[in-house]
Order: sequence, then structure tokens, then C-alpha cells
Amino acid sequence: MGNLRTGHLVEGAIWLSLCLFLYAYSFEFDKNIEIYKFGATAWPRSIILLIAIAALGQLFQHWKYGDIGSSNAMQAANVDDAEEAAHEAHHESLGWYLSTFALLVIPFAYMRVPDWIAAWLGAGGSTLHILRVVCAVILVGLFLTQVKRNMMGAMLTLPLFFAALLEDMGFYSLAPIFIVGVMFLFGETRPKPMLAIMALIYGLLMALFVKILFVGLPVGNIRPFYDFGSWVVTVLQ
Amino acid sequence: MNFRKTMAASAITLATTLLSANVAYAACATDGLPSSMAKPDGYPARALTMVVPYGPAGGSGQVAQAMAQAVSDLTGVSINRDHKPGGSGTVGMTAYMASPADGYAVMEHIDDASSAHALDSGRPNPATDLIPLVTSQITFSQIYIRTDEDRFTDWESFVKWVTAQNGRATIANVSKEGSMERVNMKFITDATGMQIQQISFDKGAPRYGALAGGQVDALFEQPGDVRKFMDAGKFKPILTLLKERPAAFADVPSLTDVALDFDPLYRFRGFYVHKDAPADRVKWLQWAFQKAYCQPSYQKYNESKYMTLIESFRDTQGSRDLINQTVAQYREVYKSMGLEVK
Amino acid sequence: MDVFNNFLTGTITLFSDPLGILIFFGGVIGGMLFGAIPGVSMLTLAAILLPFTAHLSAEHGIMLFSVIYCTGVYGGAITAILFNIPGAPENAPTAFDGYPMTQKGQAGKAVGAAVMCSAIGGTVSCIIMMIATAPIADWAISAFGPPEIFALVFFGLAVASSVGAKTFWKGWLSILIGLMVAVVGLDPVGGIERYDFEMPYLLAGIHFIPTILGFFAVSEIFVQAEKKVTGSYVAPKIGVEFPTLKELLAHKFAVIRSIIIGFFCGVLPGIGATLAAFMGYNEAVRWSKKPETFGKGNIEGVISSETANNAATGAAMIPLLALGLPGGALTAMMVGVFQMHDMEPGPLVFINSADLVWVVFAAMFFANISIIFVGYLETKTIINLLRIPFQFLAPMILLLATVGAYAVRGLTIDIVVMFLAGVIGFFLRRSGYSVAGIVLGLILGKIGEQTFAQAMQMLHFEWSGFFDRPIALGLILAGFVTLAGSIYGAFFKTNKPTATDPAV
Repeated sequence: MGNLRTGHLVEGAIWLSLCLFLYAYSFEFDKNIEIYKFGATAWPRSIILLIAIAALGQLFQHWKYGDIGSSNAMQAANVDDAEEAAHEAHHESLGWYLSTFALLVIPFAYMRVPDWIAAWLGAGGSTLHILRVVCAVILVGLFLTQVKRNMMGAMLTLPLFFAALLEDMGFYSLAPIFIVGVMFLFGETRPKPMLAIMALIYGLLMALFVKILFVGLPVGNIRPFYDFGSWVVTVLQ
Repeated sequence: MNFRKTMAASAITLATTLLSANVAYAACATDGLPSSMAKPDGYPARALTMVVPYGPAGGSGQVAQAMAQAVSDLTGVSINRDHKPGGSGTVGMTAYMASPADGYAVMEHIDDASSAHALDSGRPNPATDLIPLVTSQITFSQIYIRTDEDRFTDWESFVKWVTAQNGRATIANVSKEGSMERVNMKFITDATGMQIQQISFDKGAPRYGALAGGQVDALFEQPGDVRKFMDAGKFKPILTLLKERPAAFADVPSLTDVALDFDPLYRFRGFYVHKDAPADRVKWLQWAFQKAYCQPSYQKYNESKYMTLIESFRDTQGSRDLINQTVAQYREVYKSMGLEVK
Repeated sequence: MDVFNNFLTGTITLFSDPLGILIFFGGVIGGMLFGAIPGVSMLTLAAILLPFTAHLSAEHGIMLFSVIYCTGVYGGAITAILFNIPGAPENAPTAFDGYPMTQKGQAGKAVGAAVMCSAIGGTVSCIIMMIATAPIADWAISAFGPPEIFALVFFGLAVASSVGAKTFWKGWLSILIGLMVAVVGLDPVGGIERYDFEMPYLLAGIHFIPTILGFFAVSEIFVQAEKKVTGSYVAPKIGVEFPTLKELLAHKFAVIRSIIIGFFCGVLPGIGATLAAFMGYNEAVRWSKKPETFGKGNIEGVISSETANNAATGAAMIPLLALGLPGGALTAMMVGVFQMHDMEPGPLVFINSADLVWVVFAAMFFANISIIFVGYLETKTIINLLRIPFQFLAPMILLLATVGAYAVRGLTIDIVVMFLAGVIGFFLRRSGYSVAGIVLGLILGKIGEQTFAQAMQMLHFEWSGFFDRPIALGLILAGFVTLAGSIYGAFFKTNKPTATDPAV
């Protein structure tokens, strides 16, 4: 097995299965273009091929030389102490990865599941909105039960969850909750400073972007979030 | 080639309305509307949002800016433009359809919405899934060459030269399959029998730069977008894709002049609102947008973009007719091109 | 001297108008502030201000944008240095050495170097711009068609593969993933939907601004969060000691080299300042006697990158003003400003509005000069952001980044993309892959595929067509030589971790 370790094999396997997936998906858009004989797939498939070659090359290198490998002249400034911190936090165990991955699925579940249910029910409009709110409540509950067990995973998930909810619930309603959430995950637990800082950050953002610069932030599509967002904008402008 | 026959019927009405309108645009279309209208139940109580599915700099961004300005001048209601570019207008349309139908959000869109619906009826039909408030720009296309070009000077010598190149001549065009630009080019190449390699540029500036810099031999475009190059004496049109010559391009041959027998497709831009928005609010919006069309600032803008050469105005019903005809026309073309129509 | 007289007239017009002066200084300070606030960038400010320029005169609107451009490119360096958050892609290489300097308590030195070099690079390029706009533009428009631009992208990628990653293979895998991400959305020839996974918003494609914000700003916050969790968080040391003139003079060749690189990269539409900064940085490493010190806080890294990206600002105005071809997101917005005033940048501007052009040139010149004075003052205040406890700074940065990502296209999917990039960046940082490589792949991938398709259509799908175009051929050969160099380095010097010589 040369100098190969399990980690190397997993890394190689991830790359190659990614290639396989991307290649298989490329048949979805394998259409002719009248004025371009290479079509829509030639470019992405060439890149996929190059990825596969590079992944095999890397595997070969690991096999022959292990981790020492070849090195670029410019080692990254960003391969810094992240590794160290991860090590100290025991964030390298399989259990941690699985639990984090499960948490990260939550925002994407919100983005897709209500639509699937609505399509299955043949519903739209206000039913879809109710479905979304129900889904959001369930997923928030699920998220909260996991926070204590995996703080880092929750930190990684919270912004994505916030972003996934933005289209429906709007920036104006969600931002205060988000601010408090981030502070909490950063280890702040004193309620008074949290509230004060939350009000300060929210106020500053509103004053700068909404009042002075008239930036249209997402107001949300679902009532009453939409009404609240629109109300804030009307008051400030 | 038989698609021209099959689609002719649906296109005749469209062509006649456009050409008859050509004569009388001196008096503005909505001069007859009242100059003010009471706000229904205090609506609009706050600023309106106008979703624009394209960036601020292009033709849509500019017409949205001009129309928003005109409506604000007329009514005192401010309009925030919300640009959501991407996916040939699909992205902005999707976002707009998901937003609440309370009459506070309107949308700008172009003929791409009609051709997208023609190709895939799952996409919203702008005539029935939305209420058109006004269509405020309708324009035609032209073929341009460099003014200092010496290999050919007019349409006749151009066709001759292109034919002699045996497929190696090039013309800059936009990218999307089944778009207005590509279908019109197909009409031309089928009718003349010449072979020309189209080169896809999805952004305006590089497309014009390609002709100016000699990277391509010709350019397919609408006159309003390349006016600066014409005024600077860099580009000149050699063919107008209309049945008759408009006054501003009296010395450029029309389709009839060069014996090309097809009904050209037009570029049009208009403004829409959700179909289930409250009826009294829709009525107010229809008045505001149609009346604003005749604001001097808007008319001046349309003139600067060559948008007054054929009648650009359509009210709600007129826009619906225009869209329905356009959709039918595209469907026929797509079928005859062998595209899969869903 | 025509140029000098025009410049003088422009200067007098600029400073004899009180509103003009106000807008000038507003732009200088605004550009620096937005550049320097982590999470937002000059692009955010520009996107926000764009609708307002309708209320200004054309002269003032365009002047405002060009001033923001000059000072914003510099401002983005400050956050790159202090927080490892480049304000714009062109500041990414600045972070490679600037951030390690901050960690070593040398933030002041790095920022000071960025101030001086930005001002020098910008001013010199501004002078060349005034003299050379017309002739260079004429040459570039006919000499650089799609085949040349594709060749340049290829060369750029070959150079970039050696930036930031741990090994040759990881460098290429990073870039290739970036190229793959660029494929999402509509294909550039037929508008065919690719990798949209049935989500209509993905048809807009993945934009590089949210991706950059995610990889740099958001993932940095995750790393700090992890340190908080483990209790290993140490507040960065604050140093306000500026570099001495002698220290800067020691790097004068790096400055000159970067000005030349920056200017020539900046002239090319579409690639501009980003490639300039990466190439400037890369060349600095290549010419250095101690390449292993780069990435660990070598001041020359900051100097090369910042000189090059500011040198590109003046150059980018050339294709914009003379041909109406924008070189990047900010210059594209400038086109919008022109159009709001019924004008089009392009050949006519020099004929109809020569006054305006020269006011803009003068404003850019003085904006670059003012970087030195305002920059020093501002830096002393901005650097104090480091004193705010991180649990309070973190939500602020995340929300500013949210606004920044959303303001570009008004799409909430961009916010999702940004935070997802943050998560991916967080994991990639542990693995030796290069997030900068991914970003560069993403930016160049779109241009690359588009120009490749155009080149193929133009050359009638015959590869030999490249041989008839000497510039394209030269660039492609240079790309292959660079590639061969790094392969040689990867396979034949394998056990010497620092010895790769990635080029000619």
C-alpha cells in the first residue's frame, strides 16, 4: 500500500465519486447547440476529466511519498492554525463530522421539503406558506435540541439556516434573532450585554442601509413577516 | 423552410398593427387619460418596488429607471428598483411570482418571458399569469457593419461576400437558443441561403467591441443599443428587419427591398403586476403607468433609444394581444426548428 | 503639452466647484470606509449608490465612482491585512502575507506598506492612463479578440495554480473546482441550463462576490468560533508602528515590477486587477531569494500585491472610457452611471465630453495622492476595530456580509451561497486546498468558457487557428511553460518542500 493512509483513500474516493456524479448529471443537459458543435457539455466534461486526473495524480503521490509530497513555493497563509484548533477541539472524530453534517442538512431541508410536500398535495399559495411556517418551526426545534451537543456544528449551521429562511421571513424579522444566536454560540451568555449589543447592531444597520442608503433588504414573502419588514422600511424611510 | 408558411397566419395581425401604428405617433397615446386619479383607500401608502430581472446598465435597467422616474413625477409615489438579474430573466420572474400580491410590487420584463413560455408552458405566461400594465418599448433589429469596412458596403455586397466565404464569415449575436435574435438570424440565413458563423456574446459591450475591433464581420442588434456607435460614425446599418423603411433609416433597405419574405420578431419591454392583486389597485397602477408613458421625460428617453420609429405603446389588452401573438409565433417557429416544445 | 494642459483644466474645474469638492472627499472617505469595513466592500457601496447618481450631474456621478474605485481597492487591503478578509478579489493575495503580519503584531507595518504602495501604484498608473488612453485602446481592441483573452485566461490559471495550495495537485484541484462551480447556470453559447438541480435561482449562476465573502470573511469567523469553543482564542496583537522609508526603499524593485504587471493586466477587459494582484504576488515570490518566507508574513508580499492592484485601476479606465468595455464589476457599474445620464462610454466620450474625462482623470490622480494622507489617519482608527470583543464583532461582520452579498444582485440565494462557501472554506482550510484558487477558477472560468467558445466559433473549430494569432500563441506557450515548470517542481524536487520554481 506504499504510504497510503485511510484518509488519503477517503479523499481520493470523494473526488472520484464527485466526478462520477457530475459526469452522470451532465447527461441532463446534453443538448445540441446549432451554432456550436461542442455543445453545452464539452467544457464541463473536460474539467471533470481533469479533476479525475488530478485526483488520481494526488493518490499516486500519496502512495509514493506519503504526506511530505511536493510543495508549492507559496504555501498558503490560510493553512494556518485552523488544523491545530480543530485538533484541540476533538473536531476530527467521525461522530463530530456526522453530527455536523446532520445539522447542515436542516437549512437545505427547509429549502426543499415544503415544496415537495406542496407539489405532492397539489397545493400552492397560502397553503404553501402555512407549510413553510410549520416546517420552519419543526426544524428550528430540531436545531435547538442539537445546539448543546455540538456547538461548533450549530455555529456552522446557524448562518445557513438564517439565509435559507430569509426569502420567506425577511431580514428585518430574522436579524435580531440571528445576532443573539451568534453571540450565544460565541460563548456570550449575559442577557443584558446581548440585548444591548443586539439593539446597537440592528440600529446601526438599519440607520446606515435603510435610512441613509435606501438599500432594499429582503422583507420576506410570508405574512406577518412581510408586513413587519414593510412597516420597518416605511417608518425609516 | 415551411415554417414561414405555417407561422405567417399568426404573425399577420401583429405586423399590421405595428405598421399601421407607424404613421401616427405624433400625438401621444395616453393623452386622453385623466391627469390625476384618486388613490384607492390610501393605496399606495408607501414606496412601490419594481423588480427588474436584468442589471441596471442594460436596456431593461434603463427603461425601468425612465419609467419609474416618470411614474414618480406623475404621482409623487417613489419606486425602488430591485434588480434581480440572471437566467435570461427567469430568476427575477421566479422571485416576483413568490412575492405577496398586494399591489406594492410591480415587474419589468421583456419578450424573453414570452419566448420562454412558448418553449415551456410551465413558465409563467405574461398575458395570463400576470396583468400587463403597459408595454412601453417595441423595437426592431438591424444588421450592422463597420463604417470603414471595404470588403462590402451594403446588404447586396455583404450577402455576396458572405456566400463567397463559404461559412467562414462571422456575425456577433446573443447566446440563447430560441431567442428573438437567433430566430431572426435563422430567418435570414434560410431565406438568403448564405452560411454565416454566429458568435455568441451575451453581454452588450464585448459584442460591440468585437465589431469595432474587427473580430467579427457584422453585428445583429437593435438600433437603440448601438446608437452611440452610429452617431460616432463607427457602425452603419445595412439591413432593417422591418417590412417597410422607418423614416430615421430611410436609406437602409427593408426586408421587402431585398426580397426577404418573413415576418420579423420584435423586442418589447413592458411592466406587469400580479394577477391576483386587488382590482382597484391594479386599476390605479394601469392609469399611472399608461399615463406616465406620455410624460415628456419618458417620451424623450424613448426617442433617444429609437423607440418611436414604430408605435411602442400598448395598454393592458394591447399587451395581451401582443404577447399572445408572439407566443403563438414562437411556438410555430420552435416546432419547425425541431425544438422540444413543452 | 496637451496632456498637461488638459490635466490642469480638469484640476481647476474639479476644485472650483464646492459640490464637486464635497463629492470628491465623500468618495475618498466612503471608498476607504466601505473597503475597510469587514464584510462589505466598495462594490457594496457602488451598488447602493448607483441609483442615486441619477440625481447628480454626469460629471459628478462618474467622478464619484472613479474615486471610490481608487480608494476602495486600497481600502480592501486593510481588512485583508487585519481580518484575513479581502475587500475584493484583487486584495486576496494581500491577505497571504498581510494577515500573518497582523498575527505577529505587525499590522501597522503591513497597513503602512499597503498605504504607500497603493498610492504609488495608483498614481503612476493614473499618469500613464492620461498619456496613453487613446493609443493603447486602439491597439487592444483589435489585437485582443476572444482567442487572445482565452489564451490569457489559460496563462493566468497556469500561474495561479501555484498560489496558496499545499501541493501541485491540491493547487490544480482547487482551481478545477472553481472552474466547475462557474459552470452552474446557463451555458454561454446556447443558454442551456446546467447543474441547476431544479432550483430556478441557481440559473443565475454562482457569483464571485458572495463566494469570496464566504471563503474569506465567514470561514474566518468560524475558525475564531472554534478557538472560542476550545478556549484557545487569543486576541490579535495591535501594532501601529509604520514601516520606515528605508524599509520601503529596500523593495523598490518589487514596486516597479508590480506597477508594470499591474498596468498591463489592468488594461485587459474582464480580468483586470485580480489577475494583476495574483501575478504581482507570484512574481515577487519567483524573484525572491527566500521564497519560503512568503505566506508567513513577508512585507514584500503585501507590497507586490497592493502596488499591482492599484496600478490596474488607471489601466482599467482605458478600455472603459475609450471603448465602453468594463474590466470588472465596478467599472461595469460606471457604464451604468454614464447611461443614466444619456451617455455611453466609448469613442464618443472623448469627442463630446472631453472636459468630463479630464475632470475624472484629475479626480483619480488626487484620490490616489490622498490615500497617503487620509489613509494614515483612517488606519489609526480602523485598526482599533481589533479591540472589540470578537463575540460582538462576529454578528456585525456576518450581517454586513449578508448585506454585501445581497446588494450585488438582490438574490437571497447569494446569501445561501456565501454561508455555504463559509462552511466549505472552514473545512478546506484544514486540508491544504486553496480557497483563493477556487475563487480565481470561478472568476476566470466564466470568462474562459465564453472566450473559448467564441474563439472556436471564430476559428471555425480549427485549433490551428491559434497559430495565426501570435499574441494568443505566445500566451498559450507561456502557459504551457509555466505548467511544465510546476510539474517539474512537483515530480523532480519532491522532497524539498520549498523548492518549486513554478515558471519559465
